[in-house]
Amino acid sequence: MSEELKNTAIEELKTITSLPELAQLKARYLGKKGLITLQVKSLGTLSAEDRPPAGKRINELKDAIEAACSAREDELTRKDLAKRLASESIDITLPGRTAGIGREHPINTVLSEIIDIFVRMGFSVEEGPEVELDRYNFEALNIPKDHPARDMQDTFYVSDDVVLRTHTSPVQVRVMEQKKPPLRFIAPGKVYRCDADVSHTPMFHQVEGLMVDEGITFSNLKGVLETFVHQMFGPQVPVRFRPSFFPFTEPSAEVDIGCILCGGAGCRVCKGSGFLEVLGAGMVNPKVLGFCGIDTERYTGFAFGMGVERITMLKYRVDDIRLFFENDLRFLRQF
Amino acid sequence: MRVPFNWLKEFVEISDAPEALAHRLTMSGFEVEAIERIGDDAVFEVNVTPNRPDCLSVVGIAREVAALYGRSVNLPDLTIVSEAKALDFNIDVLDAELCNRYAGRIVRNVKIGPSPAWMRERLEKCGVRAINNVVDVTNYVLLEFGHPLHAFDLNLLKGGRIRVGTPRSVLQSDNPMRFYTLDGEERRIDPDMLLIWDAEVPVAVAGVMGGLNTEVKDLTTDVFIESAYFEPTSIRRTSRTLGLKTESSYRFERGTDIKIMKKALDRAALLIKDLAQGAMYGKLDIYPKRWHPYEVKVRYSRVNHVLGLALTHGRILESLQGLGLDITEGSREFFIVKTPPYRRDITMEEDVIEEVARMVGFDNISPELPRTAFAADDAVSTAGKIMPLKRKIRAAFLTSGYTETINYSFIGKADLDLLRLAADDERNVCVRVQNPLREEDAFMRTFMLPSLIRNLATNVAQGNRELRLFEQARIFLGRPGEALPEEREHLAALVYREKIKSLYRDETPDFYHVKGLLEALFADMRLSGVCWKRSEEPFLHPGQSADIFIGESKIGFAGVLSPLVVNTLDIKAQKPSVIVVELDLTSLMPHIGAGADYRAIARFPFVERDTALVVDASLDAAAILGHVRAFRSDVIEDTAIFDVYQGASLGEGKKSVAFSVRYRAIDRTLTDDEVDAVHAELVQHVSEKTGGHVRA
Repeated sequence: MSEELKNTAIEELKTITSLPELAQLKARYLGKKGLITLQVKSLGTLSAEDRPPAGKRINELKDAIEAACSAREDELTRKDLAKRLASESIDITLPGRTAGIGREHPINTVLSEIIDIFVRMGFSVEEGPEVELDRYNFEALNIPKDHPARDMQDTFYVSDDVVLRTHTSPVQVRVMEQKKPPLRFIAPGKVYRCDADVSHTPMFHQVEGLMVDEGITFSNLKGVLETFVHQMFGPQVPVRFRPSFFPFTEPSAEVDIGCILCGGAGCRVCKGSGFLEVLGAGMVNPKVLGFCGIDTERYTGFAFGMGVERITMLKYRVDDIRLFFENDLRFLRQF
Repeated sequence: MRVPFNWLKEFVEISDAPEALAHRLTMSGFEVEAIERIGDDAVFEVNVTPNRPDCLSVVGIAREVAALYGRSVNLPDLTIVSEAKALDFNIDVLDAELCNRYAGRIVRNVKIGPSPAWMRERLEKCGVRAINNVVDVTNYVLLEFGHPLHAFDLNLLKGGRIRVGTPRSVLQSDNPMRFYTLDGEERRIDPDMLLIWDAEVPVAVAGVMGGLNTEVKDLTTDVFIESAYFEPTSIRRTSRTLGLKTESSYRFERGTDIKIMKKALDRAALLIKDLAQGAMYGKLDIYPKRWHPYEVKVRYSRVNHVLGLALTHGRILESLQGLGLDITEGSREFFIVKTPPYRRDITMEEDVIEEVARMVGFDNISPELPRTAFAADDAVSTAGKIMPLKRKIRAAFLTSGYTETINYSFIGKADLDLLRLAADDERNVCVRVQNPLREEDAFMRTFMLPSLIRNLATNVAQGNRELRLFEQARIFLGRPGEALPEEREHLAALVYREKIKSLYRDETPDFYHVKGLLEALFADMRLSGVCWKRSEEPFLHPGQSADIFIGESKIGFAGVLSPLVVNTLDIKAQKPSVIVVELDLTSLMPHIGAGADYRAIARFPFVERDTALVVDASLDAAAILGHVRAFRSDVIEDTAIFDVYQGASLGEGKKSVAFSVRYRAIDRTLTDDEVDAVHAELVQHVSEKTGGHVRA
């Protein structure tokens, strides 16, 4: 009888397809008035000798049915979950929802790179005004009024004595007036020149550098700038110094690097020379040091300057400098 | 300066090919920017720096080549075989400071005609147009010797006399006068401009351009050739004032060679004699202000000290050979350099050191990193403070989806008018550029919003329908009575979105988007005392914008751009939403909090209580939260508003504001009774302060 009951229950379990049905089945066998429960209750009618074996048998029967039910329950729960998960499936090929991550302006990316290289070499960072006195922008830098060297830069004038700085070099003077050697700093910032075409914009960025101490030499200038170039463009890039002229340095040099586009073979960008001009530099002219009250016998120093747009254009192969300031998202999002 | 290779070879022996020579020149400070092949010749485009006007000529470059290769320069034969005695012709120099020397020659009975082909070709290679034999000769000699000459028609010079002086010295006049230059333009001559005069009237603007009244033409038979030394500053000033830049003025303002001018004059006279069959007359030469060479003392030790080299005395002296310097050995320590008249750029020790470096070759100075002490002065510069802040802000905006812009610092009057600023707004006090590229860019911006609005217009026109932009830069506030404006660091951002069909539910950005970002940023900066008040900016939506204060000082604004402004922009989209922000970082900086201040975190469980209060609809959420936060209790961990509701059920002019409070003690588990008691007290406190009651 009990073996039969167990088989019936197991057969019935197989036909069950949902958890509510399973609950009904459990109630029918194991509930308060369930078939198994009734058998347990009927134990009382048995004799003392018959009761233990019958009890044992019923318990085994009950355990067997409970185990079968619980196995079936697990199975049904798993199936239910699988069904729900299947119904909740989304198209994972659709694009994600995001405001996106913004893009840093390429000029600032490169500017930060330059600053970080010099900061690692122990340079501090200084600033000066963008609207500047003629005295600092020119006169203190050995560029008197009515001097042809003023032709090297097209100047925006605010008044006879005030200009939009044409280079970051006045920061050299402002800092040297305030602080005494040893000095080792860079001065990044915006500069202005009255010019606009494919390779000129009325505003652009420069990084100025200055180092003044006892025993600073032209050889040191070469060492520092070569280190910079190798960190910025890679250790394989050749660096070349050639004589040039800036009123505020003597001797003066232009610094060329091997063309990073053609590897020095010669291309349109380097005009076939294999070299690109990226920095101006030189030993600080004693007249400039003297203007700032620095003892030129005791101290020597070097200064350098570079255009950030130029380097950025080379790095990303941008062929029109004006794009940097149009701020068209289609351009900015590329960096 | 264009220099034909074949012409150069007439003066110096060159065994190198043009490319090799170009490289040597480039590496010695005369950058050859291009080499143009013309027939069997190669024309160098040489970039001559302003300190080396002596190299604005073929002979000048030949001198450099000779020095580089250790060769000598062979000048053309200037032997005067025959010349007539000087004619009765007078030269008076009235302003010797402006004209240190003036020489001239007369050539008579010339036949004006075209120059021979070889001369025309050379002129053309150098970019000079051939005119006639006499004028071409003056140009040819200019290119060859670098000394500008001028030819007058002798018969048009009245009174057999040349005078050199300003209107002030010649006429004792303070008035400007009129003069027609060769190009046919009428020029306004200031009383201090140096002119060349005949016995009666001006005939040339000295060193800049000749006069129309004495021009050499086809019918000219007799010419007077001028070769002079004019003071550079005066020529430059005249050239700039007249807006007239010529081959002559370019050289005179950089400084010419007061000695070679005689050779140039002879060369020109001889060529005119050859090419135009003239008869040469004796030279006139007035030299009122003598030139004396500079004497520069150079210490051997200083040369090595500046360059970082260990050159022997012999090597230093050897390197300077061939530059035309007159060198005297002074002692074991120094030598004396006397400069030739064409090297006025050498005036101090460093100038000679540069020559040594140039001749030794920059390539032969090996790079070496400096051995230097750490800088003792570690005072943090302003850049040292603002730079980390700007980097932090940049990172926050980038991760929030904003793209960085860099705008010109320029704006125009229209940009300010668009924003409807009040007349007395300090942002109207702009620095004005005297010579802007265009009137729309004549002002330095006093705030950044106008630039971002320009970016909005550009991008919308290009079909970019969703923008999040930000920029950090200086602004410039004019300070009447002071030379320089006040420069402040600002941050500005703009969010724009059109109603567009999109995959996901449209999240139109609003005031709270931007406020949320700023609040997060302020929290990150540990900025305390920030207060948001309804904005009074005329360009913002009055109901959806705020001015941001710290204490009494306004540090910025944020909000929806007024439809009055948006409507004037050419935006075709329906209901575009534009949110803008601007912060003054300079005034915000002093309020930035110190670094983290650690406090123990509680290990016991928390309890939360929510309460909705019904208050007057006009009451700001900030006021309610303020009262909640003003309630002092050491078991309150956090408070927040989580719902604001307005509806008919609450009654006219009422709203419900729900807030939650999280309670937790550092040293024990709170009981429900304890929390209930504190919360009841809190609710009563806030109800009293706001005149509200707990929503049923």
